[in-house]
Amino acid sequence: MISLILRRGALSLATLFLLASFIFFATEVLPGDALDVSLSADEVAMMPPEVLARRKAELGLDRPILERYLGFLGGLRKFDLGRTIITRAPVADIVAMPLRNSMALAAVTLLLALPVALGIAMAAAQAKGRGLDNAVSGAAIIGYSIPEFVTGLLLIAVFAVWWPIFPATITASTNDPLSVLLAAAPLAVFTTIIGSIAYLGRILRVGMIEVMASDFVERLHLSGIPRWRILLVHALPAAVIPGLSAAALYAASLVSGIVVVEMVFAYPGIGAELVRAVTRREVHVVQAIALAAAICVVSFNLLADLGISALDPRTRSA
Amino acid sequence: MKALLRNPACLIGILLVVLHLVVAIGAPWVAPYAPTSLLDAPLEPPSATYWLGTDDLGRDAFSRLLWGGRVAMLVAFAAGIIAVVGGAVLGLSAAFMRGAFDDCMLCLVEMKLAVPTILFVAIFVTGFGQSIPILILAIGIIQMMGVIRTTRAAGIVLMEQGYVRAAQLNGESGPKIILRELLPNVADLMAVEFALRASSALLLVSALSFLGLGISPPTPDWGLMVEDAMALLDSEPHLVLAPALAISTLVLGINLAAEGLAEALGLDAARGGASG
Amino acid sequence: MRPVGAPVVEPLLSVRGLNISWFSQQGRRNHVVNEVSFDLAAGETLGIAGESGSGKSTLARALLGHARGGSRIESGSILLSGRDLVSLAPKALAVLRGRDVAMVPQNPLSSLTFHLRVGAQVEEVLRHRAGLSPKAASLRSLELLTEMGLSEPEKIAQRYPHQLSGGQRQRVVLACALACDPALLVLDEPTTALDKTTEAQVLELIQRLRRARRGAMVLVTHDLNVIAEICDRVMVMQHGKVVEEGPVQQVFGAPTQPYTRLLLGSALRVDGASEAQPGRHGSTLLEGAGLGFSYARPSLLLRRASTTTPTLTDINFSLGRGEVLGVIGESGSGKTTLGGLVTGFLAPERGVLHFDGAALAGRAAARSIEHRRRIQMVFQDPLSSLNPRRRVGDQVARPMRLFHGLDKRKAEARTVQLFDELGLHADLLTRFPRQLSGGQQQRVAIARAFAAEPDLLVCDEITSALDASVQAQLLDQLAAMQRRAGTALLLITHDLTVIWRMASRVIVMRSGRILEQGETNAVFRTPSNPYTAALLDAATRATRVAEPAFAGV
Repeated sequence: MISLILRRGALSLATLFLLASFIFFATEVLPGDALDVSLSADEVAMMPPEVLARRKAELGLDRPILERYLGFLGGLRKFDLGRTIITRAPVADIVAMPLRNSMALAAVTLLLALPVALGIAMAAAQAKGRGLDNAVSGAAIIGYSIPEFVTGLLLIAVFAVWWPIFPATITASTNDPLSVLLAAAPLAVFTTIIGSIAYLGRILRVGMIEVMASDFVERLHLSGIPRWRILLVHALPAAVIPGLSAAALYAASLVSGIVVVEMVFAYPGIGAELVRAVTRREVHVVQAIALAAAICVVSFNLLADLGISALDPRTRSA
Repeated sequence: MKALLRNPACLIGILLVVLHLVVAIGAPWVAPYAPTSLLDAPLEPPSATYWLGTDDLGRDAFSRLLWGGRVAMLVAFAAGIIAVVGGAVLGLSAAFMRGAFDDCMLCLVEMKLAVPTILFVAIFVTGFGQSIPILILAIGIIQMMGVIRTTRAAGIVLMEQGYVRAAQLNGESGPKIILRELLPNVADLMAVEFALRASSALLLVSALSFLGLGISPPTPDWGLMVEDAMALLDSEPHLVLAPALAISTLVLGINLAAEGLAEALGLDAARGGASG
Repeated sequence: MRPVGAPVVEPLLSVRGLNISWFSQQGRRNHVVNEVSFDLAAGETLGIAGESGSGKSTLARALLGHARGGSRIESGSILLSGRDLVSLAPKALAVLRGRDVAMVPQNPLSSLTFHLRVGAQVEEVLRHRAGLSPKAASLRSLELLTEMGLSEPEKIAQRYPHQLSGGQRQRVVLACALACDPALLVLDEPTTALDKTTEAQVLELIQRLRRARRGAMVLVTHDLNVIAEICDRVMVMQHGKVVEEGPVQQVFGAPTQPYTRLLLGSALRVDGASEAQPGRHGSTLLEGAGLGFSYARPSLLLRRASTTTPTLTDINFSLGRGEVLGVIGESGSGKTTLGGLVTGFLAPERGVLHFDGAALAGRAAARSIEHRRRIQMVFQDPLSSLNPRRRVGDQVARPMRLFHGLDKRKAEARTVQLFDELGLHADLLTRFPRQLSGGQQQRVAIARAFAAEPDLLVCDEITSALDASVQAQLLDQLAAMQRRAGTALLLITHDLTVIWRMASRVIVMRSGRILEQGETNAVFRTPSNPYTAALLDAATRATRVAEPAFAGV
């Protein structure tokens, strides 16, 4: 077991390294650097060439790419994410709070969505092919066909405009304590929950249906073991396994994937930072966010793998 | 084919898609006004002259609605083609060759999965600039990974089949086997994948445009329109709801048709996973 | 053995006019069980014999009141101790299941919950169906495991299903089924997934249980030999209908129905001389010396587990021109691996193959075109042998165009000729594989193999997936073609009857080694190896059961 964890851990680190490199090269490879974008044409024309050159040197934009790459890696080792181009502020400071906010939103969403998705999946699998199952499938298809920003806006339209129950946009700010922030964002949470339930429910339902049709469930059924027991003790763990990897991936991608929801509700999360950074070509911020996301995903994947090992004894023994 | 049409959900899906295609292609002739022309009447409510009113810059919302899908559909279609063709070739080759190439492909897919979609495009745009071809490429590459996974899995099963073995034993060349024996037998899968990838691509483009990272103004696009009108949700809800509905119905139509197609062909659409 | 026939009491099980249909998605109706009626008294064991598609599995499940998804019991009655299962509500059925009637399904590995320890699974039945307390259930489960012949039951109980052998798993499943001592025990192909040695042991266990219990048993299987070993009475089914029924000795000794005769005809009967042509026909065509192979595949980078599949050790054999050599073995014996080496799908790790005097390169890719042409293969599953997306005629023509450079018309003419020799109509040329029956598909596969005009044809379990009615015909046609063309055959199979019919010489393999080889006549009559003897004994029970000297206990 230990060797399994170590092996997967080493693999994850290797993957992270590859990802970090990819992130670096993808963002910095193009000629014409961030400075050109962030300064308007007038400013460039007005600035004397030596000043321009000095600004570039300060930001390290004139060094060859390989040198910048090594600098990037070196910085990572020291957890130094660099500084923004325009304001020269430490990237870590800019990214930290929004990251916390997004993770909180994702965590709350998952905690609420998972049980519901499981429940729906079980109910639908039980009633396969009949009314409830078809209704669930239909709702799921509609659920994941509608873009998340549309769902968010619809919720605002219904619950903030027509029946002013909830606030439309977040009134709390980035650095507020989480409890305040989340309490001010019920519609945002609701939007992400709907999307999550649709996605997770679909995966879990498929796994559940397969398991309910399997031989061991048939044998148990023919032994007269009560249905609830078959579902909870035998079928559920088996059904969760194939969905675990996909669910973990989804969970990890939630952190940055809720960009859209954050924009709709003006939620001060990392997605909003990302959009801002991309439009201003703040390379280092984009890199930092991408790295954070990659770390999330890799660690969730690792957790999922370990979870599968824990649930499925067949993966454990030689 | 007939089974497809018998399924009511699938039929609705196909109709929706056809409707959207007709509107998109016919927009230049049907739209009453040019989508970018600034008429001198900002924020008019819906009336006989302006069926959906005008937006904050004074452009006719209805015409913009008709034109709004064109670029997004183009991007989605092109990205879908890239994804399916590239994905099938790479996936089948990986299944055929196994070994190092296969490991590489798996690694590649894993890595892509590690980067959430919007982020990936964001990285691309940061590095390569924001333009339609870049968008198509970025989205196409993202979607390709999923196709590689499914075609590789199908390919591995196919490699076990007697007729593939027979071809191998007779000394047929690799490319020939992939083309003659493997490819025709994943054609079904590819058709379903294309539909699913196109719908994913569409959602992605809309979301990106909404965020300002996708299609740039002044090109009319539903995602952009939603973002423009978002602040006016309480006063001018139709400006938001119309394009929102447009995106949703098109994606829904594709997804319904894809599920119907998958069922008719005996495949499982959920396997491929619409996870971008 | 309990006495056959009439105790004066009511039969334990009484089935009358049972009709079960299966409905496809398009609404088409398949009559799976058709007007089936029979009685079963306590202490009796009934065997239900039939091929796939006969409805026997559906019938087996119906005896527990269960109809698989998509199927429905349309009419009839199933009286178990007086209660009609057909009319019972699901709740009442659940009460009966496990307690009054229980089932042992076919595949023990997939029938046990993979993420629970086997001990817990036996205990579960005891606690929820027999109402025992956890402590009592724990003790009783260990007792049951011991009764099923498992030594060290405490250790076994702590294991997961995949950690046990096939035989051990089946015993665990039996323990679960017998936990409440049900009046009726239904077994669906209980030994089909096991190798012959384990099968013998499990059958012995079932025999013991028969004698010890007061209840009745229904054994569903396609294997007539198993029925001959265990059952008092037999009921033969075809296409959902009962074809013949009666005491085993009577039905097997003197079958009255053509279908029964057909089934028995494909059972092995070692009398007279083997039908295969004796003797060698010329020089040695294929020779294997010291062949060895193993499948170990370590994969450190990715999460795939390393698979260890049977290795081959020290294989020596020879095959003459135009000769038919049989290779007998169960799954895991290495016989398919040997076929893989001969056809070039695998390269030997040790030893060397010689073909017509010249050394044969390992993998097909390294072989000369001539070698590739002269050694051809036919596979087990006819459906996977042909490309579903291409017309059947094109597929047969391909080797002709590849190896002989024939143009389209000549290739087509030759294809028609081959089809004719194999009893296939020329119309079929333009059809797709799914439009053909299994037997036709297999014949097309054979035609494709012969299209290359090979000197050696490797046949791997080519009849295993076919119905009995089609098997004999196929083999006859193959034999005729083989004789006409002078092609040598390497017949790989687990079915001794096929060997007896077709092969003049035979190799017996087990665990990657050759146990014995020689003339079929000699090996089958006087096997020198106990394993071969056990195989022969198991395979001939059905045909020996009617003999007065049969000690079938």
